[in-house]
Amino acid sequence: MLKIRNGRDFIGGVTMICAGLLFIWFGRNLEVGNSFQMGPGYFPTVLSLVLMAIGALIILQSLVVEAERVEPQRPNWKAYFLVILAPVGFGVLLSGLGLAPTMFFLIVGVATASRYANWRHSILLGLFLAVCSVLLFTRLLSLPISAFGPWVPFLGDLS
Amino acid sequence: MDIFSNLWLGASTAFLPMNLLYGFVGCLLGTAIGVLPGLGPTATIAMLLPITFGLPPESALIMLAGIFYGAQYGGSTTAILINLPGESSSVVTAIDGYQMARNGRAGAALATAALGSFFAGTVATILLAMAAPPLAAVALNFGPAEYFSLMVLGLVASVALASGSLLKAMAMIVFGLMLGTVGTDVESGTPRYVFDIPELYDGLNFVAVSMGIFGICEILRNLECEQERSVGVKRVTGLMLTRSDFKRIIAPILRGTALGSFLGVLPGGGAMLASFASYAMEKRISPNRAEFGKGAIEGVAAPESANNAGAQTSFIPMLTLGIPGNPVMALMVGAMIMQGITPGPNVISDEPALFWGMIVSMWSGNLMLVILNLPLIGLWVRMLTVPYHLLFPAIIGFCCIGAYSINNSVFDVFVMAGFSVIGFALSKMRFEPAPLLLGFILGPMLEENLRRAMLISQGDPSIFLRSPLSLSLLIFAVVVLGLVLSPSISRKREEAFTE
Repeated sequence: MLKIRNGRDFIGGVTMICAGLLFIWFGRNLEVGNSFQMGPGYFPTVLSLVLMAIGALIILQSLVVEAERVEPQRPNWKAYFLVILAPVGFGVLLSGLGLAPTMFFLIVGVATASRYANWRHSILLGLFLAVCSVLLFTRLLSLPISAFGPWVPFLGDLS
Repeated sequence: MDIFSNLWLGASTAFLPMNLLYGFVGCLLGTAIGVLPGLGPTATIAMLLPITFGLPPESALIMLAGIFYGAQYGGSTTAILINLPGESSSVVTAIDGYQMARNGRAGAALATAALGSFFAGTVATILLAMAAPPLAAVALNFGPAEYFSLMVLGLVASVALASGSLLKAMAMIVFGLMLGTVGTDVESGTPRYVFDIPELYDGLNFVAVSMGIFGICEILRNLECEQERSVGVKRVTGLMLTRSDFKRIIAPILRGTALGSFLGVLPGGGAMLASFASYAMEKRISPNRAEFGKGAIEGVAAPESANNAGAQTSFIPMLTLGIPGNPVMALMVGAMIMQGITPGPNVISDEPALFWGMIVSMWSGNLMLVILNLPLIGLWVRMLTVPYHLLFPAIIGFCCIGAYSINNSVFDVFVMAGFSVIGFALSKMRFEPAPLLLGFILGPMLEENLRRAMLISQGDPSIFLRSPLSLSLLIFAVVVLGLVLSPSISRKREEAFTE
């Protein structure tokens, strides 16, 4: 009877096989060609097959080799959520709010991911970095973002 | 002598006031991130890459290189003073360095580290200057088949020397190569895996990808086991070494430099491997081996020289062949591509000012670091008191702006966010992100050379075996793979038997 001895590796192997299948599926319309005249689909398809083979070997290994005992980390869902969402929020808000308010909200929002954060520090840091980034990026490096976007009353689009 | 005129050209580039300034800024930033734990050179270079796009290529690469070797210096400072290695390459320095600091010899340990690093950096730079042109000359004769085999060797060796599971590292390389195929196929003009998103037609941006899997991902991991640091450092006094100290460190520095220079050239090698290997060697052959672990000055001198030598010589394959051996070099290759320079053996002849300027700047950068580091130690230690909960929001903020500024589009910010999720999920399953980045950078080149070689041979794969050079490269790759596999197989088998 086969038993999964290393659950983490088992999942890893399955993930690799799924990744290979995804690439094959989304590349199904790409012309593969032959080894002489390789089409655009040749290289990705071969790689996907190799990845799936490696995935299968990882699964095989997970059935044979015992996992070493490791103390599991307690997942910090709040931190994952905030840190991953922060860039998304940045991307969504940037064009409307402009750099300064976006930066401020990003910093204050993401700082709460730490269990040592306190509001006073976060707000001060947010203000400081908002000013710094405006000076550095819009003034010095002249990126095409304004400090305040059209959503900000009175200040927006002035700079 | 040819080499002198080359070095003269390099000096005239590197000593331009602007390049000196960027080199200085790079060293300063590098030392700072070396001191700060939880922020590595890979993430920092990725974060700063967009800022360098506006600079001339020489200044940009000089600054990025400065960050890389500056980090080696900075990492050792904190390892010695508070037993907290800022970089993975100074982990072993902490063992004896911290003991020396506790015995009141922090100054001597820091001076040893600085002197060893400077000596090693100088030697490795000379080595780089001498080895690079002949190597590039050989590589100029490479056809597509040889290039393909060389890249395979590079990828295999980088897996072999990396830590962790071999299979998983290989999976990461293949996955990275696959990610490299996203975008318009150069030969046929067919879009691949673009999902009708116009931004994807140029492929995934490597800066956004590496900021995601290194920068943001590192933060996620750090927040998982967040601890407040308490830093108590005594004043550092007595930087001078005694005569007997000097006698004791000369041999370890020489050995460390030699070993580090060698290991740095290997793909997947570089600073970390060099420092571990040289510490292990020194522990075995030093006449004072009994003192190791209790504050032996050799235990600081050898790994510090080795990691700096390794950091410098890892530029050799990158500059001469265009093949990066570690993630930082992969970013440098990416930076060159973004500056419109094709990495490879042509760089030396096409861009002599860039090439020799970089080499000379490495030496001048090392000199700056010695001068900079010892008197500024107080400042670096004070930087350590910056708590992580103020540091990481700033890193995220700069990553976001950095990603945006690549193409002035928020799409790259989303790519970064997406890859932070992918990178984090992979690291949860214990897949290393470094091989993924190498595969991602090399993917398009590998595919192009494979297709060209197969066109030349009319679809006959034996072209890779008929050219003697290509054959020997492939044989070497197989040997490397076999060497790594054999002990791990036997160990795995042992584990299976004990049940």
